[in-house]
Amino acid sequence: MKVSLNWLSEYVEVPNDVKAFCDKLDLTGTGVEGVETLGEAFENIVVGEVVSCDDHPDSDHLHVLSVNVGEDEPLQIVCGAPNAAADKKVVVAKIGAVLPGDFSIKKSKLRGVTSCGMCCSERELGLSGNHEGIWILPEDAPVGMPLSHYISNTDTVLDLEITPNRPDCLSMVGMAREVGAMYQHDYTSPLVKMAERMAEFEQGADVSDLVSVDVVDFDRCPRYTARVVDNVKIGPSPAWLAERVTAAGARSINNVVDVTNYIMFLFGQPLHAFDYDKLMEKDGRVRIVVRPAQDGEEFTTLDGEERVLTSDMTVIATPERAIALAGVMGGLETEVTDETTSVLLEAAAFSRAHTSRTSRNLGLISESSMRYERGVDDVPVELISQAACALLAEVSGGTVRPGVVDVHDALTMPIDLEFRIDRFCAMMGADIPKDFIVDILKRLGCEVASTQDSNVLAVVAPTFRPDLEREIDLYEEVLRLWGMDRVEATLPGGRGRFGVRSAEEHALEKINATLRASGLNETMTYSFAEPTELDHLRMNKDDLGQAVELLNPLNAEQSVMRQSIIPGLLRSVAYNQSRGVSNIQLYETGKVFFAHEGKKKPKERMRVAGVMAGAMTDPGWNVESAQFDFFDGKGVVENIARELALPKVRFKALEANEAPHLQPGRAAQVLSGGTVLGWVGELHPLSVRNFDIQGPVVAFELDFDALGKALRPARDYKDVPVFPAVAIDVAFVVDEGISHEKLVQCMSSAGGKLLDDVQLFDVYRDEERVGKNKKSMAYALTYRAPDRTLTGEEVDKTHERLVKKVCAALGAEVRG
Amino acid sequence: MALADELCALQAETLAGIEAAADTAALDQVRISVLGKSGSLTAYLRNMGQVPKEQRAEVGKTLNEVRQAIEQALEARKNTLATAELEAAIDAAAVDVTLPGRSQQMGTRHLINRITDEISEVFLGLGYSVATGPEVETDYYNFEALNAPADHPSRSMQDTFYVHDLSGDASTVRGESDVLLRTQTSGVQVHAMEDQEPPIYVIAPGKVYRRDVADPSHLPQFTQIEGLVVDKGITFGDLKGTLDFFCKQMFGPDRKTRFRAHYFPFTEPSAEVDVSCGICHGEGCRFCKGTGWLEILGCGMVDSNVLRYSGIDPEVYSGFAFGVGVERVACLKYNVPDLRMLLEGDMRFLRQF
Repeated sequence: MKVSLNWLSEYVEVPNDVKAFCDKLDLTGTGVEGVETLGEAFENIVVGEVVSCDDHPDSDHLHVLSVNVGEDEPLQIVCGAPNAAADKKVVVAKIGAVLPGDFSIKKSKLRGVTSCGMCCSERELGLSGNHEGIWILPEDAPVGMPLSHYISNTDTVLDLEITPNRPDCLSMVGMAREVGAMYQHDYTSPLVKMAERMAEFEQGADVSDLVSVDVVDFDRCPRYTARVVDNVKIGPSPAWLAERVTAAGARSINNVVDVTNYIMFLFGQPLHAFDYDKLMEKDGRVRIVVRPAQDGEEFTTLDGEERVLTSDMTVIATPERAIALAGVMGGLETEVTDETTSVLLEAAAFSRAHTSRTSRNLGLISESSMRYERGVDDVPVELISQAACALLAEVSGGTVRPGVVDVHDALTMPIDLEFRIDRFCAMMGADIPKDFIVDILKRLGCEVASTQDSNVLAVVAPTFRPDLEREIDLYEEVLRLWGMDRVEATLPGGRGRFGVRSAEEHALEKINATLRASGLNETMTYSFAEPTELDHLRMNKDDLGQAVELLNPLNAEQSVMRQSIIPGLLRSVAYNQSRGVSNIQLYETGKVFFAHEGKKKPKERMRVAGVMAGAMTDPGWNVESAQFDFFDGKGVVENIARELALPKVRFKALEANEAPHLQPGRAAQVLSGGTVLGWVGELHPLSVRNFDIQGPVVAFELDFDALGKALRPARDYKDVPVFPAVAIDVAFVVDEGISHEKLVQCMSSAGGKLLDDVQLFDVYRDEERVGKNKKSMAYALTYRAPDRTLTGEEVDKTHERLVKKVCAALGAEVRG
Repeated sequence: MALADELCALQAETLAGIEAAADTAALDQVRISVLGKSGSLTAYLRNMGQVPKEQRAEVGKTLNEVRQAIEQALEARKNTLATAELEAAIDAAAVDVTLPGRSQQMGTRHLINRITDEISEVFLGLGYSVATGPEVETDYYNFEALNAPADHPSRSMQDTFYVHDLSGDASTVRGESDVLLRTQTSGVQVHAMEDQEPPIYVIAPGKVYRRDVADPSHLPQFTQIEGLVVDKGITFGDLKGTLDFFCKQMFGPDRKTRFRAHYFPFTEPSAEVDVSCGICHGEGCRFCKGTGWLEILGCGMVDSNVLRYSGIDPEVYSGFAFGVGVERVACLKYNVPDLRMLLEGDMRFLRQF
């Protein structure tokens, strides 16, 4: 909310030191988002009068003006505004003036005609957003007067962040009360005096003879008042009024609209002015109904937009049609125009929840809806309506119908609360004196009384503070105004405690450490995904459920939640490659999401995924570099398996149809016993191409929950061997189809207990020497007994038997 | 020539040969030619039998003397040569120690998780446990149980991503839903209070989502660490002391904290916490926009409604909660100029940490 300090100081003493004032506001809960000083920048900007306005000889929209600025000669100014006309009072920036945005005014030529200044719009002056032509000042504006004098010297406007719990601060009077409490100063509200003045303008029959109001549902509209102001002459606002509403951030429109805005800014009560004649029925009367809208009812709001309403919304209507959207915006058809002579003034209270939903459903936020959804006090509505009518009559030359149509149910009752001083002090950890507590609560508008217990205050919270419902709400008020900085910093005591990480956290930490030790770099990508990305990856979606769809995504590329981490990582691979980085080793741990029909919440699974492209490093002066292939990915997964002590880990070849995103023949499922942990492999060249990446890319994706279930907290101890081992190398020539795993299994079962270890050290293929579709697999075998030194004889016998069995079982031959 | 003369000549010749040997191999040649199986001195020793008996003692003595002299010379020369050769070998093996070492690449931790780890360590040390929760939440856990019921204006403080609700429930507001991406990790508070009896000391790090277009200072997905304490006798002073300790641990012992009253639906009283600017030390500079302070987190005493929602009696227990934006810390501590870098996976960025 914009708060003019000139205006505020009408009701409360405002400190001269603006910086200190802002700090105090900040510390007590009213954030200062901006400080703007009006007026001081207006050097060389004066009030001028257009003497003549001629068309530019060489343009169809420019005018050549002669403007009297109170100097000997009028200035010739070229101006493009459509509302420039002779005899109008305008604001002239003379040569040498600097407008907001460092725009300095110089003598210039526009299409051949000299221009010695500029006529300004309010926006160009930084006064408001109004840029519908130049600013036309009231006729009484004195020619030649510096603008800073004309708009009553300088003013400082603070842009304040009013938190949603403080509807009362969305008004000047409310801010005056707040500032009064901050400094323990008194403030005054002009409401009663302004309201009393209505009597001066009363004329004609009682308003209830003309207007009736029917509220269908008091839950939606707890109070509705209507008054009528006749003999209105619509025109520009007096300067003081225009200045106030402009400072508050609105645009000065005309005297009637400005009064409604002024009253809203002053008291926080939104008002709406209808053109009475447009509501009138044939008998001259106005019948207003506050009712739920019909589903599908169409209505054009003031901003010219046609809206389709729902029954959750409330409309102000005549028997024929809706005329306003309750609490949000009036209707275009019944708005006040230059021809209006009679005004029906609505001052009402509307439901917070309905207003909020209506506003959100229509995407329509107004000064009015913002206040109603935070809460407008229904108690002073009628009094504020009086004050508004008095002011309306005064500035428009009108008269007010006596009386009021005021329809309401039970009004909001103030809430009685207890304030236990010792509990408060104990909870804050500060000794705050009772006198201070009482004074602050009173200044905030509470009634405070002592009780029999000197430790307990009886507090009645004011109706304009809907946030003060409970004792704790009062604690906050006193603490923030006493000063949070004055509370001594302590640490919780208690009986002592210990902090622990969960088992999952520990497992995750192990995985992270292992992946980093394997040379992979952790990254983070968006949880959002493109709906087609799994198709691009060619990933089988059968087991992935449905994608979690966002109702309001930022863009189509981020409209669902990811079902795999791989696409995000591939986008990072592409990002790196396009920037000349070719060695990429990335991993991420994070959630993936699967929705299921009929289920409210999706399943969330934690995944561990990595991608490797290029090599670990570039070749160095003493290191060779090898391009990543399947076995680098597998090695990483093996490291994880080792660190988590996963039992019975197996890699099972995946067929093309099982994992279409992987290159057939370089793809494996990772299992621990019968539990599937995930997969590892080289991505299919077609998948890689779909992500604009240079392959090959080695990738893996493991399910963290499955890893967590399979892991063992520790491995068992095995005796360190005491007796010497005998090493024998053997190379088997086998068919290509025989896997390493198969050979090892065969050797293990044939070698029995004495076979201690099997290490593959060479794979050799040569059509001539080894044979077509054959390979030679060379193993280093270690024989050892745990309890004795083996004899040569024993070893030879065991080894011979092993070779024989392997040859027989797998059709292998020993390579000589 | 007399035998003694012969031996004398042999000794002189051999000693000269030893002296002339340039390396251990040449020296060995000399040794073999004199003391080897068919060495010259060995031949004399072998022929001792042919020496007349009366001369034998004399000759034997001379022979021994010659052998000892030669052996000593050999040993001395061998030591000299070995020392020289070792020195030469060491000289030859010298390397340019400024050449790069040979190492396995170590991977790196993502900056955000690195900071999360750091923060977690601080609170683990204070006796907090680490909790986690789901990222897709129901309205109840993200808002309602946190004292922000439907249509509460505080909800507009955070722009929410809503998720298609497959349960068939419809929302009262178009484009909204009962299921959403959590806008704060505060939901974990509620889960923790539902699942545990006080005393509760937990922190909950995790991803949160708000509907902000990504730009240098905003991300639609970021990381928050929520802290929650519920115990008997917890005071606002305890909240201040805890966060002051945290800020000093994270940013340095000379940093100050400042508490500004604020509003959050789930805490009361609520505050925003600033840490003094590390560049100007509170004087005001461009980094802190002239204020001398940098906003770092939001906090407050757990609202009694929130406690009651989770079945905890606010007359018996009190507590505090706080939420730290990890990306915010990354900006303040590491001067990351553009938050989007955190999600791009640029190797050149990641490998800096």
